[in-house]
Amino acid sequence: MPHSARHLTRCAVLTALALALSVAEGLVPLALIFPLPGLKLGLANLVTVYALCRLSGREALLILVCRCVLGALVGGRLSALAFSLSGGLLALGVMAVLLRLPALSLFGVSIAGAAAHNTGQILAAMAVLGTRAPLVYLPPLLLCSLITGAVTATACILLVQRVPVPGPS
Amino acid sequence: MRLPAAERRRPTLWDAAVVLAVAAAALLLFFQISPSEGNFLTATVVLDGEVIAEYDLSALTDPVSLRLDDIPYPLTIQAEPGRIRIVESSCPSQDCVHIGWVDRVGAQIICLPNRLVISLSGAAEPDFDAVSG
Repeated sequence: MPHSARHLTRCAVLTALALALSVAEGLVPLALIFPLPGLKLGLANLVTVYALCRLSGREALLILVCRCVLGALVGGRLSALAFSLSGGLLALGVMAVLLRLPALSLFGVSIAGAAAHNTGQILAAMAVLGTRAPLVYLPPLLLCSLITGAVTATACILLVQRVPVPGPS
Repeated sequence: MRLPAAERRRPTLWDAAVVLAVAAAALLLFFQISPSEGNFLTATVVLDGEVIAEYDLSALTDPVSLRLDDIPYPLTIQAEPGRIRIVESSCPSQDCVHIGWVDRVGAQIICLPNRLVISLSGAAEPDFDAVSG
């Protein structure tokens, strides 16, 4: 029953959670400690991983797109939409594929997702500027994604284990 | 649908392989495009694909400031002998200001909201031209 009220509520709550996480994250920019454009913990990715693990790819995609659009509206920066969407979609795609591999844990999935997110953002920046200049930021961002990915993975594992599987849908 | 990755609590060996792959990609890319020391430093300011200013940083003797007002988020660029930075900007993210001084060949300061790129080139420049399209 893909259109039940219960299902809709679940997606809405997760979207609100993802939005709140990304706004909260924006209040304490990591870039102040370590000056690297685009560097962030990626807390909203928790919701994407949870949705991929416990709901489905379609719902994860829906939640992601809603979060990015609402985030751009709330932040008043529609121009940022291209970056959050390109990073988010690439991360979602990579994680959806890696989750199907039998040998990985959420650590590997989350780190690959973080790396994919950074790559997507840099690609969008290159497209917007029409130059390869933003590529300079990618190597340090990739190294940072090892740490941010591992941190979010730790939280993800707790979330996925502790928050019960929603009823049949 | 059961996903094995979702049920694991500890990292596996294959996670280490993912870490290695990401680190290897980062290092490979880094050595391809890493900024390097150069004796002759030129800073090129490109706004929306057009060069609007060029500073020979090695030949500068006094600090110079460049105020840009006719852009979406006005900002001030400051050049000194051997280095350049964006002093202040009215853009929301302030990424360009946080970068601080850059002083190496191949380094870039990017202000995305303004579509502004400051790139340093010089004698030891790798094949990396920031001006295109």
